[in-house]
Order: sequence, then C-alpha cells, then structure tokens
Amino acid sequence: MGEVNVKTLKQKDRTFWEQTYVTEFIKGLGVTMKHFFTNLSPNKEDRDTRTVEYPDEPRDYPDRYRGRHRLMVRDDGQVRCVACMCCSTICPADCIHIEAAEHDDPSIEKYPETFVIDQLRCIACGMCVEACPCDAIRMDSGVHVSAFEDREESFHDRETLMDLGGQSMAEQGGDHIPSPN
Amino acid sequence: MPKVTINNEEIEVDDGTTVMEAAAQLGYDIPHFCYHPALSIPANCRMCLVEVEDNPDLQPSCHMPVNDGMEVHTESERVVKARKSVLEFILVNHPVDCPICDQAGECKLQDYYMAYDAQESRLRTEKVDGVKVYPLGPEVVYDGERCILCTRCVRFCEEITETDELTTAQRGDHTEIRTFPGQELDNNYSMCTVDICPVGALTARDFRFKCRVWLMNTTDSVCTGCSQGCNIHLDHFRNEVQRYRPRYNPDVNDYWMCDPGRYTYKEVHQDRLEDPMVGDNVVNWHAATQAYVSTMDEALDTFEPSERAMVLSPQVSCEGLHQARRFADEVLETDRLYMGGKPGGESDDLLMNADKNPNRRGIEYVFGGLEAVDSFESLVDAMEAGEIRVLHMMNKHIPTTDDALRARFVDAVADLDLFVLQAMHRGEMVFPPDHRGDFPAADLDDPTLVELADIALPSSSHAEQDGTFVNEDGIAQPFSQSFKPLYNSQPDWQIFGRLGDEMGHSLSYRRLADLREEMFGDAEDDAKPKTLDDKQSKSRAPADAATQPTPAE
Repeated sequence: MGEVNVKTLKQKDRTFWEQTYVTEFIKGLGVTMKHFFTNLSPNKEDRDTRTVEYPDEPRDYPDRYRGRHRLMVRDDGQVRCVACMCCSTICPADCIHIEAAEHDDPSIEKYPETFVIDQLRCIACGMCVEACPCDAIRMDSGVHVSAFEDREESFHDRETLMDLGGQSMAEQGGDHIPSPN
Repeated sequence: MPKVTINNEEIEVDDGTTVMEAAAQLGYDIPHFCYHPALSIPANCRMCLVEVEDNPDLQPSCHMPVNDGMEVHTESERVVKARKSVLEFILVNHPVDCPICDQAGECKLQDYYMAYDAQESRLRTEKVDGVKVYPLGPEVVYDGERCILCTRCVRFCEEITETDELTTAQRGDHTEIRTFPGQELDNNYSMCTVDICPVGALTARDFRFKCRVWLMNTTDSVCTGCSQGCNIHLDHFRNEVQRYRPRYNPDVNDYWMCDPGRYTYKEVHQDRLEDPMVGDNVVNWHAATQAYVSTMDEALDTFEPSERAMVLSPQVSCEGLHQARRFADEVLETDRLYMGGKPGGESDDLLMNADKNPNRRGIEYVFGGLEAVDSFESLVDAMEAGEIRVLHMMNKHIPTTDDALRARFVDAVADLDLFVLQAMHRGEMVFPPDHRGDFPAADLDDPTLVELADIALPSSSHAEQDGTFVNEDGIAQPFSQSFKPLYNSQPDWQIFGRLGDEMGHSLSYRRLADLREEMFGDAEDDAKPKTLDDKQSKSRAPADAATQPTPAE
C-alpha cells in the first residue's frame, strides 16, 4: 500500500447568533413566505409552481399521447376506413368490432357498416393506428377516455369516433403515380 | 419411361408427364397461376417458366412434357429473375387494393410477390382502369383490375360444366372476362370459379366482405346438401360457419362442389331449436331428461311395443343412427322404424343428387339394409289408423313436398299420446329453400311440430360434432367438430346415450371412438360400406395428392 495523504479539516465554529437559531429561522421563513405570496398571485404566469388545477383546468398532453380514437373522414365527410380489418386483427385486446358492407359507389366498394371500439377493453397500445394502411384511425385526438357510468357508454360507435375525425393529408387509396425519386 | 433430372435429383416418370408434375413428385412446387390439374393447359401466365439445359429459352413447365435425359432447374438464377419479371408485368395494372380484397391472405399473387418480386412499382404512367364490382352472374362478382387473365374460370365453364358462359373480351391491357351477350354466369357450379381464381378477380356474392380469410379456422368436413357427400373445408370464425370450400377428393367430388350445397351452411345457424322444451316450457337438460323418463316409463307400461315407433333421419351421422338403433331395440323395444329426412330435389350429371340427405346409405349400413325401415307414407297411414300411440322423431324434416301429406302428418301427430321430437330446427323449413339457402320466413315462423311435441330436444349440426356420413357410393367419410355445440344442443348420439342411461339401459359411451369401434368393428364384411377400412386415407389425404401440383387457389 502506498502512502496516503490525509488532509485534516477543521470545522468552522458556529457564532453566538447562529447558535441561537433566531436569524436563521427568520431567513428560512422569509424564503417560504416569498414563495407563498408569489403563488398567491392571480396571474398564473407570475407563479413559480407547476400545479395543474385538474380537473378544473385541462392538462396538456404530449404530442404523441394516445388518447381517444378518432376515425378520419374523406373530402366529402364519409368515413375514410375501408374495413380491411387490419386493426381488429392486430388488436391485442380484441376491442374493435367491424362489420363490412358493400358501398353504393364502386370506387369505394367496401366500407364499415358498423365500427365499434370497446373503450373498456382498449389498452391504448396504438397498434391499430400502426396497422391501418390508409390513415383512417388515429389516437392523436388529445382527448382522454372519460369515465363511464354505464357499460354501454364504453362502446364508441362509428359516429362517435367520427365526431373527433378530420381529414388526412394522405391521398385516399394511395398515390397512383409515384414521384420520380 | 423417361428419366429426368430436376435440380440435380433424378426421377423416372411416366410418358407424357409434364415437367411441373415431375417436379411435384420430387416435392418442388413450381409457382403457377393458369395451370390447374383438372383443367386444360393454356400456358399463358408464364409464371412456371423453368430452365431446361441445352435449350436457349426458358420453358413453361406446366406444358412441357419430359424427355429422357432432360435436365431441369426450377430455382436457378435465370428462373428466379424471370419470375420477378413476370410478376412485375402482371402487377403493371394491378390495383394492389389488398385491404379491400377478399382474396388477401389466400392470394397466390400476394404470396409470389413476397417470395419473388418484393420491389416497389417502377411504373411511371397511370394504371389502366378496369371494371369494378361487375356482376357476372347472381353469385359471382368480377373485378377487371385485379384479373390476371389466367382464364381458369373460362376453361372451367368450357370443360367442367360445359356451359360456355365466359370468354375474354377486348384486347391487350383492356382484356377482361365477360359473359357472352345475353348470358350470365348462372350454373350450379358458378362459385367454383371463385375458388379456382388465383387472385381476387372473382368473388362470391355470399362471402363478399363477410370475414377476412386469415381470421377463419378450417375444419375438414362433409357437405350435407345431398347424398354425394362432397368433401369440404368448413371455414368458421367465432362459432359461426362462414363458408364451405370444396376439398379435393378424386373419388367423390374432385375439386368441385355445387352452389346449392355451399349454401347449406346456413342451416347450421338458421332458426335453431335452442333449449330443451317440455310442453311449452323451456327447461334444462336435467329436467327434460327427467320428464322424458317419467312420461316414457308410463307410455312403455301402457302401450304395446307395436304402438311405439321411431322416425329415423338420414341427416344424422352414423354414430347418431347407431345409437338410434340401440335405443329403438333396447328402450322402445320396437321394430317400427320409418324414414324421415328432406324430400328429394334437383339433380344433375356432375355432382348434385336428387336425394338431399347426406346419410341414407348410413341408415342402410347401420340397420343392415333398408328393409327394416318403412316409408313415411306408411307411417302417416299407421298413425291415422291409430296403430301408433308413441312416436320418437329425429329431426323435423318431412320427406315430402306434398302439402296434403304434411297436413295429414301434423294432424296425426296431434292425436298421439306421446310425441318426442329431437331436432336441430324450430321451424318447419319446408324444402327446397331459395337458391341462396334461405327459407321463407313464413316457414320459419311456423314451429308447429315443436309446439305439438310433448318433449323437444335440441340436437347439434354436423359442424358441432364428430361423425361419419356414408355417401351414395357407399364411401364412409368422417367429419370433424368445428366448434362446441351451439346453444344448449347436444349431438344425437349423446342425447340417446343420456336418455338410455336414465331409462336404465347402459347406452352412453365415454368416447366416440368406443362407439365407432362397436359400430364399424363388429360388422360383417359384406355389409360394410366398401371403403370403411381405409376411410382415413380416402377422405383426408388422397393417395395421389402428393404427386399432383397443388392448385393455386
């Protein structure tokens, strides 16, 4: 074993006032009071806490938060989904029920007559979104699934899901002519 | 006999064997679209090109007969490159609408694309639009964009049904399958074209959009539509039969089955008798059995054996009939047996038989001939004469289309002292149903026999049990259970076992295999259906299946 250099430190002695704790006590209370009065400010921007008054005020979710499903719509407001069943096949919780039917328009051909998601069963894994070949189902609505009073309320049907829907940038049916690159 | 070397393996084959068949014998599955073992060979898809040494060009293996000393390569670099090119060519105008295509999952184009092509489209021009959702006939819908023009459907209508409805119309990339003017694809086998279509160009009106193929489970079964006993794949999803598809059996149905037969799957789910009933009350099996025992015990004391009768159903498996025979012998102690079942119907030269019952030969086998079983007319006569007081009836089909006889039977049933009905269906289901297999609602709403029955017991369909049917040619064909009995039904052989046990006769079997051994094992040889010994090999795996290229479906 080599030689070890040992440095001896001498602890600083506390002064009289420090030993009485009176000034330190007042200093500490000062910090507490500063925060207390700052956070009493009616202007939220001036406060220095991040408390969210949930549920009175909504919480900000991250961009990729998987919220309530939404079914996207076509330009004319019809459901974008073509009932290929990819989402209900991949769904590990088996919560998507689709019944396909023949559309009057031969260019659409197949559409979901019923599309029901059982939100009590859904585990919000997002696999349905990844499986969808035509950007018809998304979970980016930013709305979380609210509590249910009745089991029936947890069955979100096609119209409920389309209420949150929007239009997709992707061309329906895919791009027929690929770009030169 | 020529010797041919395929991928450095030598094999000796018969004269006239094609390279594809020889390769199949060695276990090489050469990709193909237009070739089908039961149809003629046009060699138009070019998917089966192989390399033959000393030949500068690739050769279509489905069409090329083998020569002695031929050396063939089916997976060489040149061949694989040619396949990729052929697929790219086929896909030039293909819409790639797999998400809405019913064939997706069992599509040869999909499979071969993944195996040999697997590249993005290099096409820079707009695809040629074809016709979508074009009805070729009442059962078949055509999609011109998906069609690869293999002409299997055209050849099927020319060579198998010989009805010649289909042809190709127009030229080049505008070619499409069409019916001849004034005709439509409306023969008894039109849905076979959907089976043999290697892509999703032909879809069945009935199965369209109903279920994705990858979700379904498949059980080997036998069609109950007629006495031909076509072998089928029974495709089912969540305890529901989705469709029948023909299963290859060269002795019975080859690759085909008829449209009316396909629609008989609807009987499995339509208008089922769900629970046992005593009078008008829905009860459980225990209560129904107890009610049966008490009423039947009393009836057996009151009435002579000649006053008791049983109606046998040729819709029931041999196992159920075997139990029925034991039940009639040991419990009812009667030899008054009558033939039930569906009335006769349409027939043709190919597969459809007039006898719409799958197991009449099974009754013949189980009861040692049909002499012991009297006709339904004689039953009605005997009932009207008051000779029969107790009747146990299997299935509620009445084997006549004569309304007067039906009415006489229903009247006579009302006068019986004890009427037990063991049936699948609630309603009358007057035959024949319409061409889609649906029964008129008025018939379904007429549960006369169930209401008249003192005790009604729900029995299971062939999809819900293991069993055996003997077809018209005497070939015994086992079928397998697809799902558990629906509702509160039970297979017929179990119902008889349960009732017999409660009546003090040991009639039940712990396993179906024990029953089968008793039924088939101790039979005299001449009474046996001719293929009972090798029924496994007959109906499950045809002996020459391995030597034939699998038809791409």
